[in-house]
Amino acid sequence: MMNQGANTQTLASVDPNSVENRYVVDASQSQAPSYLPPTAGSGTVSWATHEVNNRSTENGNLSNSNYHHEQHTETHTKNLQDGLNATSLASSSSLGTTNVSQDYNGYSSYSNTSDPYGYGSTAYPGYYSSYQQQPNHSYPQPVGAYQNTGAPYQPISSFQNTASYAGPASYSSTYYNPGDYQTAGGYPSSSYSNQTTSWNEGNYANYTSHQYPNYTADTSGNYSSGTVPATSLHYQQQYKQWADYYGQTEVSCAPGTENVSVTSTSNQVCPVPGVSSAYPTAHSQPPPAYTPSWQQDSSSSQMSSVQPATTVNGSHDSYWKHGAPSFQNHVSPVQPHFQKPLDQRSSYSNFQDQQRIACPQGPNTQYPIAQQMPHSYQPPPVQTPPPLDNRRVSKLQIPTNPRIASNLALGLPKLDKDSSSATAAAKPAYVSVPLPKPNEKVMSQDAADSMLKPGMFPKSLRGYVERALARCKDDTEMAACQAVMKEIITKATADGTLYTRDWDTEPLFPLPNAEMVTKDNLPSSTPVSALPKYKRSPSRRTKSRWEPLPEEKSVDKLASATNETGKFSGWIHANEKDRKHMSGNVNKEAGLNNIKFLVSEQKSASKNFQRPVKRQRVAADGSNTADNGDASSDSDKEQSLTAYYAGAIALANSPEERMRRENRSKRFEKGQGNRAETNHFKPKNAGAGNLYARRATALVISKNFEDSGSRAVEDIDWDALTVKGTCQDIEKRYLRLTSAPDPSTVRPEEVLEKALHMVQNSQKNYLHKCDQLKSIRQDLTVQRIRNHLTVKVYETHARLAIENGDLPEYNQCQSQLKILYAEGIEGCSMEFSAYNLLCVILHSNNKRELLSSMSRLSDEAKEDKAVKHALAVRAAVSSGNYVMFFRLYKTAPNLNTCLMDLYVEKMRFKAVSCMSRSYRPTVPVSYVAQVLGFTGVSPTNEGSDEKDSDGLEECVEWLKAHGASLVADNNGELQLDAKASSSTLFMPEPEDAVAHGDANLAVNDFLARTSLQPS
Amino acid sequence: MAYLSMGEAHRRITDYLNRFSDAVSSQDVVSLKQLFSLSSNSPSLLPLADALNIFQDANRLIKQSDKYSQFGDIIVPFFRSLQNYRIGNLVDSYLAFEKSANAFLQEFRNWESSWALEALYVIAYEIRVLAERADRELASNGKSPEKLKAAGSFLMKVFGVLAGKGSKRVGALYVTCQLFKIYFKLGTVHLCRSVIRSIETARIFDFEEFPKRDKVTYMYYTGRLEVFNENFPAADQKLSYALMHCNPQSEANIRMILKYLIPVKLSIGILPKDWMLEKYNLVEYRNIVQALRRGDLRLLRHGLQEHEDRLLRSGVYLVLEKLELQVYQRLFKKIYIIQKQKDPIKAHQMKLEVIVKALKWLEMDMDVDEVECIVAILIYKNLIKGYFAHKSKVVVLSKQDPFPKLNGKPVNS
Repeated sequence: MMNQGANTQTLASVDPNSVENRYVVDASQSQAPSYLPPTAGSGTVSWATHEVNNRSTENGNLSNSNYHHEQHTETHTKNLQDGLNATSLASSSSLGTTNVSQDYNGYSSYSNTSDPYGYGSTAYPGYYSSYQQQPNHSYPQPVGAYQNTGAPYQPISSFQNTASYAGPASYSSTYYNPGDYQTAGGYPSSSYSNQTTSWNEGNYANYTSHQYPNYTADTSGNYSSGTVPATSLHYQQQYKQWADYYGQTEVSCAPGTENVSVTSTSNQVCPVPGVSSAYPTAHSQPPPAYTPSWQQDSSSSQMSSVQPATTVNGSHDSYWKHGAPSFQNHVSPVQPHFQKPLDQRSSYSNFQDQQRIACPQGPNTQYPIAQQMPHSYQPPPVQTPPPLDNRRVSKLQIPTNPRIASNLALGLPKLDKDSSSATAAAKPAYVSVPLPKPNEKVMSQDAADSMLKPGMFPKSLRGYVERALARCKDDTEMAACQAVMKEIITKATADGTLYTRDWDTEPLFPLPNAEMVTKDNLPSSTPVSALPKYKRSPSRRTKSRWEPLPEEKSVDKLASATNETGKFSGWIHANEKDRKHMSGNVNKEAGLNNIKFLVSEQKSASKNFQRPVKRQRVAADGSNTADNGDASSDSDKEQSLTAYYAGAIALANSPEERMRRENRSKRFEKGQGNRAETNHFKPKNAGAGNLYARRATALVISKNFEDSGSRAVEDIDWDALTVKGTCQDIEKRYLRLTSAPDPSTVRPEEVLEKALHMVQNSQKNYLHKCDQLKSIRQDLTVQRIRNHLTVKVYETHARLAIENGDLPEYNQCQSQLKILYAEGIEGCSMEFSAYNLLCVILHSNNKRELLSSMSRLSDEAKEDKAVKHALAVRAAVSSGNYVMFFRLYKTAPNLNTCLMDLYVEKMRFKAVSCMSRSYRPTVPVSYVAQVLGFTGVSPTNEGSDEKDSDGLEECVEWLKAHGASLVADNNGELQLDAKASSSTLFMPEPEDAVAHGDANLAVNDFLARTSLQPS
Repeated sequence: MAYLSMGEAHRRITDYLNRFSDAVSSQDVVSLKQLFSLSSNSPSLLPLADALNIFQDANRLIKQSDKYSQFGDIIVPFFRSLQNYRIGNLVDSYLAFEKSANAFLQEFRNWESSWALEALYVIAYEIRVLAERADRELASNGKSPEKLKAAGSFLMKVFGVLAGKGSKRVGALYVTCQLFKIYFKLGTVHLCRSVIRSIETARIFDFEEFPKRDKVTYMYYTGRLEVFNENFPAADQKLSYALMHCNPQSEANIRMILKYLIPVKLSIGILPKDWMLEKYNLVEYRNIVQALRRGDLRLLRHGLQEHEDRLLRSGVYLVLEKLELQVYQRLFKKIYIIQKQKDPIKAHQMKLEVIVKALKWLEMDMDVDEVECIVAILIYKNLIKGYFAHKSKVVVLSKQDPFPKLNGKPVNS
């Protein structure tokens, strides 16, 4: 998140969109309540504007906005109804349900906010929910997901709305580059989404101040998701209005300059369905049309899915003629269909095939976009999409990845060399629109297209590129080819012959050996990996949580391969710079926005998928989910760690940082080699593929279990999920897993034992040790090692945590230890049950919990010294016996003192309040100091005079800080004036108080504290 | 088991089916609820279970006739549950029963009137009991017992059906009580809060409208919750209500209420009569009450230790432990009385060493500092009126009412 934030900030001056992007990110975490209020405010404002602008078309708008809402509910209920759905789709649909229902709550409250225009509020929920759904899709079926992200701008109606809201005037200021549009027009299949994309941008531009509407635009876009294009085809065939509508958008967008008129036309078109008089009809009517589309979304990779769309459209048609039949009718045709694809999806290879068939259909064309954009633009976000790949459909991914990378590469030179044509950034948005796999030709066109986008390149060059790429037989060749071409073009641009050369007659370069290219990149990356100590930068860190490294790796590598000059490491940097003086180049800007937006979506997708995984805690072993329980609750700590590593914020995008990242990703592939790494994603690679597939199935099974609840945990093949580690490194940083663990990064038991030993003897500070121990714990968990070593690791960590006052970490260890001891594994269970008691007594103040902990103690345990002590402390605390408490404090065994430490302040305050109430007229401070543990137990202890005077001093300070009134008596001895103090005592605000309430989480304090300790 | 002929089995099954459909059509809840009481081992159900185990094709029988098949969703799983119950397979029995109960709830929801409320009660009860037994079975097989939790969520659903307006709402409290039983058993009492809130804040529930037995149960459980929270006045009020309205014949229930009411009353300074402890066999409190009367700290500690396990499990240990301060108060008062007899003028000055001596006599080994601390706490908590002079180590008691009685108010904390 930090990185995201940083990026957006760099953009901020130029990019009105950045605000939205951040917004989206927020939304993806489904923090509904937190941002709803703001939206409400801005929403009203902006809606008001719309009203003025489009009073005539308001009906149309209205209907559309409403329809989101309806539609949402519709799908929502369906999800709930459909048990099969949940089971076979594994997580996707069920996720949908959960998320959606949450959101639902969110907006129910929302709609209460007074919106002057009633329709506004309904629209919000609609988009809001749609937003959430989007990520859901993206996760389980990456293909679908990518479509979604690619096509977010479809939403015929919603889209239109926002456009019209924007108002004609503002449109003229949009980022439309006529040239772009021209090209876009040339490729209708791809351009479709492009147009819409740019529309969106237009909105962004207009709405800088009104975050809300923009947001709507985004989300509604998301919502309608990839399949809509599929449906749109049908619309064209079946529905004149819709077809027209589509046509219009297309045409109007193309010229770009005619935006003003465009808006008006489209506005007119838009209301068509909702004919102004048929107000209520308009409201409900769109949903049927949409529901199907959404449904198909999940099945989008299937050709057949298109069919139902037709049917539904038909019903839609009748629907809107006849008024308002019930929803269910419309939905039902979709339902059976929906399930079909689900079944098939469960097998990946199958899925892939379908995907391929489906690709040429057009709707899928969006797929690469999402992929590419994140990759090319923002490395940190890039990492988000991969989790999807890696986890689920790793095989599927490959065909596209290299290509994308190559596209990217093509764009790069321009970026680097020519800032005026720097649309490279924007390009991918268009580039990848092309049809994926099967149609190589189109693909290459797009690649070429990407270069030509800015309108700077001659037609002939495009032809040249097309020809060149047409020769390629597979992805690697293509990549290589593009690399070469990129170089050619770069050179041409550099020496100014780009426009003068006759590209039509230019001889094609010899087909490069793809193998070689890939190898070429090896040397470039190996030195990087040789870099000694890799340090995560904070920005990096946050992102990396969600990031499946291998995937990112391969992409990076390809990029570097094609970009042999080595610019690769710095290109983002360049990009950033370009962006700054590129304000004139609106197009690129638009592209950037676009990307960011998508990126954030992706991110949300991956985030979302994390959540359900968490639920799987039980099922976790062996799968990557293993450490989630820990890791998730760790996030705060993580953040503090982040800051800890923070020397390097400034470095975030520097070449060094880049290299480090590279280096880091290397870490994950050791033992497999670069090639092997890439191969993971190739269906050909049987070995790795098999492993992944097997694990994937197991994951699906466990998901199924979660969702349907019908399958017993015992049925899951845990052995298949268990990893046997091969890593020999003793030291390893903790990194929260986001995908199935890679055996080559997991340390086997012997190594872990050494690692533990190392930590125990280490002189480094707590944070370092904590990090190491966490990684040891993670490795233990993924390998399902539960024995004395596990206990030892947790005990070590728990003790360390107590010593350093890190209660959250301690609690994690304690709860694990409880389970481990219960399994009969030997350990210091007495010591820890004493800690547990103390924790319950002193920190949770939960009577019931205390009772149950006490009643669980065995007789034997009650005889234990530590436990006895803890029980005595309990008695002292419950009776308020401060004398007893501080005596026990002085004589505490083990680390009981450390836990009591945390209660000392409270106890002292209680004691002084009590004393000032009961004693008259005065109490000697020396007595107070002795009783409250400032000084030694007995005042007559001669040996510790000096210490006692120190303690006395401290006590005086403490009393003063708490408002006690002190007087000196005749002998000059300091006395506590009880009567005066009784009314003036107060508990001072803790100095280390932090806004979030837990001082442990305040990074700086925490660091300061730990660094003071020579641990 | 005697041999059962096919014909006989067939007859028993059709007999059950007829009774079921008759009961529903005539809205005869008394017969209907008997048909569900699985765990009662009633003479009508046991033979039926045997019959089902012989006559395997009961489902076909149900489907054959429209009269029965409309209740197929209820009866088919119920038969399966009964079969499994008979052969001791409680987990499967539970699962089938839950299915049947769900179907019945569906039907119940559609019935306008609340005639079948009694039958729903039986189902709610049966599902809880069955779940408990199924959990025991699961636990003995080393699996995680989770059926009671499932029963809890089913009952929550039932509560949702009943908690609306109309005549059905009087059933809500019964379900609530079943839920309490489950939550207390599971140790998830925090879940009670939502149910309590809807009972106590919703206007649609007039508490006095509910059946008496449910009110008593409800008050008992909410009273126990208040004991956990150490909210003694509220606990006293609720448990006293339960005690007053409880059927005087059911001594077991009275004992259960007293088990919590006595510690509550002790905490607010009201001691029970010995005969009551005897009558309801609440011997664990005898020493404690005695200690309070005598100011005998040793006896109190002894009494607590003796029944520690029991008191911890019932959750009153911490409450009783707090009585220590009252025992001290009593002890000090005794010292004060003795001093007064000896020397009325100086009686209000109590030397610390006297107290230490008294405690030593009770075999309580405490030094001056500790006793001083206790005196300070007693004054702070208003159990003693007066002040402590540190220099001279003397407790100076107020001349008026130095040891105020609690009089139904809890000790200040």
